[in-house]
Formats: sequence, structure tokens, C-alpha cells
Amino acid sequence: MGGHCLWDGTLSPNDFIASADDLTKKWMAINPNLPQWTWIPCQRMDVSCNTQAEGYLALENMYQLSASEVNAPTDDENYSAEEAPFDNATLIQSYNDDMHIYDFHIVYSFSYQVPVLYFRGYRCDGHPLHLCDIEKDLPPYSSKIRNESKWTFMTQEEHPYLCCPWYTLHPCGTSDWMKLLLGGDLPSKNPDMLHYLSAWLSVVGQTVGLRIPLELHDKSI
Amino acid sequence: MAAESPISDRKVVVHLRATGDAPILKQTKFKIAGNDNFCKVIEFLRRQLRRDTLFVYVNSAFSPNPDELVIDLYNNFGFDGKLVVNYASSMAWG
Repeated sequence: MGGHCLWDGTLSPNDFIASADDLTKKWMAINPNLPQWTWIPCQRMDVSCNTQAEGYLALENMYQLSASEVNAPTDDENYSAEEAPFDNATLIQSYNDDMHIYDFHIVYSFSYQVPVLYFRGYRCDGHPLHLCDIEKDLPPYSSKIRNESKWTFMTQEEHPYLCCPWYTLHPCGTSDWMKLLLGGDLPSKNPDMLHYLSAWLSVVGQTVGLRIPLELHDKSI
Repeated sequence: MAAESPISDRKVVVHLRATGDAPILKQTKFKIAGNDNFCKVIEFLRRQLRRDTLFVYVNSAFSPNPDELVIDLYNNFGFDGKLVVNYASSMAWG
């Protein structure tokens, strides 16, 4: 490529840990009343000889008022939006029935050397949400980004540490757009690795409706 | 972009910069009402470039949420009297 930027858009495991720490502290300072990012230290079963600390960032119990109508059947696995009649007169949102809960995990991918977002949603009764339910909760621009951008698409994969299926944004395009986002156009400029995660999150957050406050990007804080 | 707005609206100068392989616009500086959302900038770019998939970001730092107000972005991240917005084409899957 020999381009104008030598950095390839990836980050090292140590930079991931440092950036995770920076994100956690800033989020706490800016959003003390919201659920907080927590570092979960752990060890992968299959791993090599990593002696450094390993873990992932978790943001859990984000409550989201669901967009689905109240008169939808709650225990029908085959329910589809087209089948239930939509009646404006009976549309009432109650906190119990229509509150959805979301968990977001940021996990480092050793193969792609970038962070990966894993997320899941569930109803208050613990019933997991399918992707089609989750998509109804998201703002319109999220669908647009997911459907149009070749850099972001959702799949269901096994969580690397929890060994159960979570939804994830595939990481194969991440280093390309992070190279643009943080790399800048000065060849001598060192990318700002400490803010890698908040920059990355500003993009992936939009695809999953996770709102990132502007102050997170203010480097003077 | 908004052509008419109340006198009390503050206008923000937005400088659109092409990065990567994105085409360069003939006119790169525009004024937009401060209380417009950032999605107006994104939509303007899409119409001008006739491309749906764009990657839009500010200051080599982050990609703004489409419903952020332009005036908030300018106040926090603008410099030299303008808000620099970079754009790139989303690459296809290889």
C-alpha cells in the first residue's frame, strides 16, 4: 500500500487495556447515573502463553423502552409484526411488559487485533430477544448504517469468554475504518491509542443504538 | 442545507474534507443552522456525492451521532471558526 499512513488501524492487547481504562473512567465522570463500564478479568480456556492481564469491558442492564405494541402475543415464538393488528387506540407502553434490557461487551480479538462488540437483549422476564426484535428498538439511522455500510454487519457468534451465543458486529472491516478515523493524513502523526475505544465506540455505538456522549471525545477532560 | 431560519439561529461553517478514495466536492465550505442535527450534514453529503454509504467523522477523533446538534459539535470540536467534517466512502467487502 505504501500509503501516507503507516499505522494499520489495529491496536495491541496492552493498548486495548489502557484504552478500556480510559473509557471506563471518562464514562464514570460524564455519566455517573447510567450503568457503568466494568472490566471483567478472565482467562480463555484455549489460550497460548499470554501472561498479561486479559479480560473484556462490560456495560450491562441498559434499559430500553421497547417499540413493540402491547397487544402482541408474548409467548409466541413465531410472532411476527405483520400478523398482529396495530391499533393506535390500545397502544399503551408499560414499564414492566415493554422494557428491554441490553448488555454490551467489548472484547479484544487476538486474530483481528481490534475490539469487537458483543451484545444481547432480553425482556424483563429473561426471555432473549431475537435480532428482529432488537432491530425494532433501534433508531432509524442504525438500520440505515447496518444495511448500507459494508463495514458493519451483525452475526451471531459464541462469546469468546462466556461460551454462549451473542450478537456481534463482525470485526473484519474495523482496522480499515479505524485507520481513517484515527490515522489522519499526516504520515508522522502517531495515532491516539488511548482514545481508540471511544473513537471506535462512536461508530459501532450508532449501529446498535448505544448513545455515546460528546464529552467522551473531548480530550481536555 | 437550510436556507431560511430565524435570525436568532446561529449558523455554523462546516468544512467538508474528502479522505481515502472519496471524491472531492467542488465547494467544500457551507453554512448550516446551528440547531440542525448532524444528519443534515450526512444527508447533504449523500445527495452531493450520490452515494449511500459514507463514513463521516470529525477531527480524527470520532463519528458524530446523527442527532447531535451542529452547534454542540462546533462549540466542542470546532476551530478556526469552522467545524471540519471528514468523509470517506465505505469500502466494499473484499
